[in-house]
Amino acid sequence: MIELFRDTLRYRELIWALALKELKIRYKRSLLGFLWALLNPMLLCLVLTVVFSKLLGSPHLHFPVFLLSVLLPWTFFSQSLSYAAESIVGNGDLIKKVKVAKLVFPVAAVVSNMINLLLSLIPLLVIVLLIGHPVFLTWLYLPIPIAALAILTLGATFFFAALNVYYRDVSHMLQIILQVWFYLTPIIYSLDDIHIPAKYQLFFKLNPVSYALNGFRYGVYYGHVPPLRSIVASFACAFIALFLGFSLFRRRQHDFVFYV
Amino acid sequence: MNHQSIAIQLQNVTQRFRVIHERPDTIRELFARFKKSRISYHDFEAVSDVSLQVRRGEIVGLIGRNGSGKSTLLKIVAGVYRPTTGQVTINGTLAPMIELGAGMHHELTGRENILLNGLLMGYSKELMQSREKKIVEFAELGDFIDAPVKQYSSGMYMRLAFAVATEVDPDILVVDEILAVGDFNFQEKCLQRLRAFREAGKTILFVTHSLDQIESYCDRALFLEKGKIAVEGTPAEAIKAYLGQSMIEEPVLVETPSPRA
Repeated sequence: MIELFRDTLRYRELIWALALKELKIRYKRSLLGFLWALLNPMLLCLVLTVVFSKLLGSPHLHFPVFLLSVLLPWTFFSQSLSYAAESIVGNGDLIKKVKVAKLVFPVAAVVSNMINLLLSLIPLLVIVLLIGHPVFLTWLYLPIPIAALAILTLGATFFFAALNVYYRDVSHMLQIILQVWFYLTPIIYSLDDIHIPAKYQLFFKLNPVSYALNGFRYGVYYGHVPPLRSIVASFACAFIALFLGFSLFRRRQHDFVFYV
Repeated sequence: MNHQSIAIQLQNVTQRFRVIHERPDTIRELFARFKKSRISYHDFEAVSDVSLQVRRGEIVGLIGRNGSGKSTLLKIVAGVYRPTTGQVTINGTLAPMIELGAGMHHELTGRENILLNGLLMGYSKELMQSREKKIVEFAELGDFIDAPVKQYSSGMYMRLAFAVATEVDPDILVVDEILAVGDFNFQEKCLQRLRAFREAGKTILFVTHSLDQIESYCDRALFLEKGKIAVEGTPAEAIKAYLGQSMIEEPVLVETPSPRA
C-alpha cells in the first residue's frame, strides 16, 4: 500500500501525461471532441428519463437530477474499469521494450476518467439550475464520495487489469458484469422505491459501489450529508477493494511481460 | 576493482521461459483442459547462468546466432525482464534502445512524444523540456515537431526515437541491433553519437550482427551460444569463434528488424 502511494507520487508526471494522452486520443478527429465525454451521459439520461419518469412514472421529482447525480459517478466507475482492464495488455508492446512501473497504466486510466467526472459536474450543475432543483450547500460534501469512489475504482481496476493479462475473456466478461451491476445498483431507482424480499436485502447491502454513489445522491439531490454509517461503509469497501486489487497486481506485475 | 568502476554486473543470471504448448488463452480452453489433461509445457533457458561485469566507460558487443540469448540478456540488463534467478546490479542511469520508438504514439505530435518517451524512461518533465531543442535538431524535424508522428517519414521517425533515447545523457546505453535500420546518413549519425558517447566515457552494451562494428567500436566482445557466454575476449577472438561456429553449422541469418513493430 505504501508502495502504491510512493510510486504514484514518484511517477505523477508520467501518470498525468498518460492520462492526457488517453483523453486526447479518445477524442481526436471527432468534431465535438471532448464534449462527447459530457454529452454521452446526458443523452443516456434523456432516454432513461423518458422511459422511467414519463412512461413508467418514477416517483422522484426532478428525475434527471435524481438520476444524473449517480449516473455520472457510475459512468466514471464503469469507464475506468473498461479502460483499465485493457491497460496492461494494450500497452504490451511498451512493457516488453521499456522498464516501466506497471501500475502507471491502470492509475492513468482512472485519472483520465476522473478528469471526465469532474468536468461533467459542470453540465450537471447547469441541469440542476435549468430544472429548478435547489443547489444545496452539500455540493461541498462531494469530495468525500469522490475520494471513496476513486479508491474503490482503483482497487477494482488493478484487479481486472491483472486478471486480463492471463485471461483475455475478462474484458468481455466485464462488459456483461457492468451491465448487470448497473441494474442491481440503485441508479435509476432508489432502494426505497422497491420492495426487496428480506432474503435479498443482504445482497444489496453488499454492493460495494452503492455506498460511495449514494453519497453523490445525498449531496446533489437530497441536500444532506449521508449517515455516518454509510460514509464509513463506503471507505471500508474502498480500502478493502484497493488492498485486494493491488495485492494481486503487485504480486504478478513482474510476470506480466511474459504474457502480454 | 572497486564498485564505482563497475557499470553493469550480472551474477549467475538465468532467464527461464515456460513454453506452454497451446497455453489456454481463454477460460473456455481452461475448462476444457481441466477435464481432459494437464497443461503440457517445457522450460527453456534463454539465458543460463551468465555472469558478466562491464566496467564504466567500456564498450561491449554481443554477438551470437539468432536465439542465442543476446536480446534476452539485453532486456535483463535494461530491466524489462526480472531474471528467474541471479543478481543484476546497474550503477548509473540507463537508456534502453531495445527497439526504436517503443514508446511512441502515432497520434501524438513529436513534441508530445518527446515528453512521453522521456517520462516512460524515467526522466523528469523538466529535463525533457530542456533537451527538446537538441532532440529536434538531431532528428532534423523542423516544422514537423508539432505534427502527429504518423505523418513523419520513417527517417524522421527513427531519428526522433534515437535522439530521445540518447539526448537524455544516460550513463549506460543498451542498444539492440537498431543500427541495422535506416539509411547510410542515419547510421552515420548514430555511429557518430556512439563515438561521442565513448569519448565521454559512457558505457555501451550492444547487440549487432555487423562484425565491422564489433571490430571497430568494441573494447571487448562476448560470443553467446545457447544462452551461455562461450567466448569472452577481444573483438577478434569473439568474432573468430563466431565465424568458426557458423562455418560448422548452418549459415548465419542476418535479421533486419522492422523499425516499427
